[in-house]
Amino acid sequence: MKARTPLTLLVLAGLAALVVTILVTVTIGPADLGVDEVARSIGGHLGLPVDAVPRLHDAIVWDLRLPRVLTAAAVGAGLAIAGAVMQSLTRNPLADPYLLGLSSGASLGAVAVLVVGVSLLLPVAAFAGALLALVATLALARSGSTLSPGRTVLAGLAVSQMAAAGTSFVIFWSSTGDSYREILNWLLGSLAGATWASVAIAGIAVVVVGTVLVLSATRLDAFAFGDTSAAALGIDVDRTRWTLMTVVALLTGAMVAVSGAIGFVGLILPHAVSSLTGPAHRRLLPVAALSGAVFLIWADTLARTVFDPRELPVGIVTALIGVPVFAFLLRRGKGAAWT
Amino acid sequence: MDLTLDGVGTRLGGRWVVDGIDATPPSGHLTGLLGPNGAGKTTLLRLVAGLLPPEKGAVLVQDVAVHHLPRKARARRIALLEQESTSTVPLTVREVVSLGRIPYRSLWGTDPDEAAVDRALVSARADHLAERPWSSLSGGERQRVQIARALAQEPELLLLDEPTNHLDVSAQLSLLAFVRDLGTTTVAALHDLNLAAAFCEHVLVLANGHLAAAGHPREVLTPALLRQVYGVEADILEHPRTGRPVIAFHEPTRSE
Repeated sequence: MKARTPLTLLVLAGLAALVVTILVTVTIGPADLGVDEVARSIGGHLGLPVDAVPRLHDAIVWDLRLPRVLTAAAVGAGLAIAGAVMQSLTRNPLADPYLLGLSSGASLGAVAVLVVGVSLLLPVAAFAGALLALVATLALARSGSTLSPGRTVLAGLAVSQMAAAGTSFVIFWSSTGDSYREILNWLLGSLAGATWASVAIAGIAVVVVGTVLVLSATRLDAFAFGDTSAAALGIDVDRTRWTLMTVVALLTGAMVAVSGAIGFVGLILPHAVSSLTGPAHRRLLPVAALSGAVFLIWADTLARTVFDPRELPVGIVTALIGVPVFAFLLRRGKGAAWT
Repeated sequence: MDLTLDGVGTRLGGRWVVDGIDATPPSGHLTGLLGPNGAGKTTLLRLVAGLLPPEKGAVLVQDVAVHHLPRKARARRIALLEQESTSTVPLTVREVVSLGRIPYRSLWGTDPDEAAVDRALVSARADHLAERPWSSLSGGERQRVQIARALAQEPELLLLDEPTNHLDVSAQLSLLAFVRDLGTTTVAALHDLNLAAAFCEHVLVLANGHLAAAGHPREVLTPALLRQVYGVEADILEHPRTGRPVIAFHEPTRSE
């Protein structure tokens, strides 16, 4: 096996890919935009001395597509690191916020406060929903003191179905307009409603929580051989697990509050990048975040353009890509310790 | 390094699984922890490692109670190898060994002594495996790498829970010879009494959470003790080459 690629190189490559992705995907869609116009529009809003862009094009870039693309980037990054951290803490390669029910729990929390009409509380309620779902999944999955991966996924499935049913019920009961579309957007995820407020919520959550998690990288590494081994390496196992799980629930809540429950990003990205970065979290987390951002931007671009003018919920696209990867992981893991 | 068990004990599920053990394993030597299944060996190792707070008594390392040491400081002095080491993470051998450096890492994940991993690999004679995936190793190689991980912690006290489990005879012998010659104070839970007799300077025999006997294998492993603790009949022979005790088990005679 060769030595690992330097982290700086991976991060720089990821950043470059992210910038190019943003500039290019903003041009994609109805209205004929060029990359130079996108760059000039962004530059103008940032106060740089650039030639002005026609007002309509500027509005399409700055008010519609850029917030959506940036939200997709933040959500993709957040889900990818949430998945990586959950996989380590539960020692389960199939763990991610969607499969373990956190995303559906967050959706239910969000929808519940929307009905009551206090949309300001939406991220808080989504966080509370994610946390409750997490506690429910772990409580269901736990038998004795061990957390078997198979039981955890089954428990996540039960919690996730329950919360999804709750979400559908609440919307169906309360919605006056196109309730089916709204239900789909929460259950499958959609970035169609993204605004600069979404960028702020998801962006701040990713930066703050991401920093906390990268600073916890060593403690996450220590879980590789399980709880006792982590404790013998000087880690406060219970405190670390509950703190970081809560932080992941917080992150998931922020993501779901702006985009609904988008699946499989957290599951597949950590596996996809770990062959490049290796399993050390100080390397894995930043690279997974950047790849998740790029991945979700492209997935959302597909979702909004393939059947233009109709939009697919982006969760359909991520599932179409993610389920085959899930199947591959299951096949590869046959006979391994966690099956 | 001086290790003292001072009346240490704890309950699990209401039962005293380790009950008032007094012992002083000799410094710089291999001590075998013996006893039938359920005698409390694993729990005692966890108490000594400071992973479980004692409900009575204490474990003292250089006269300091281990459960009062800060976690990180404790992990720099005591290394514990569990009975089963499994991982779902695709680690290389070098990455496994560098886990042992976690107690020394800074907040940013940097290790003040980057050569420590290589030294540990060399001294456990696992350096030729360094770039191999952990999952591709044989049982004996895995145990050797886990020992290297423990050595990377630079411990003064090494605790091993059934380190020879699932190993073939040659791997068992080379592992215990290696540990014996380390010169680090080591306590190893062992199932195989003949291995303990061959390699240990000192043995502690547990029965139902109590210390049944302690001392040099030649003095401790007697037919009477084996009958009392394990419920088996045996003759003790002398090894023709090493002079160490060899235990020859036999079926109980009819008259009993």
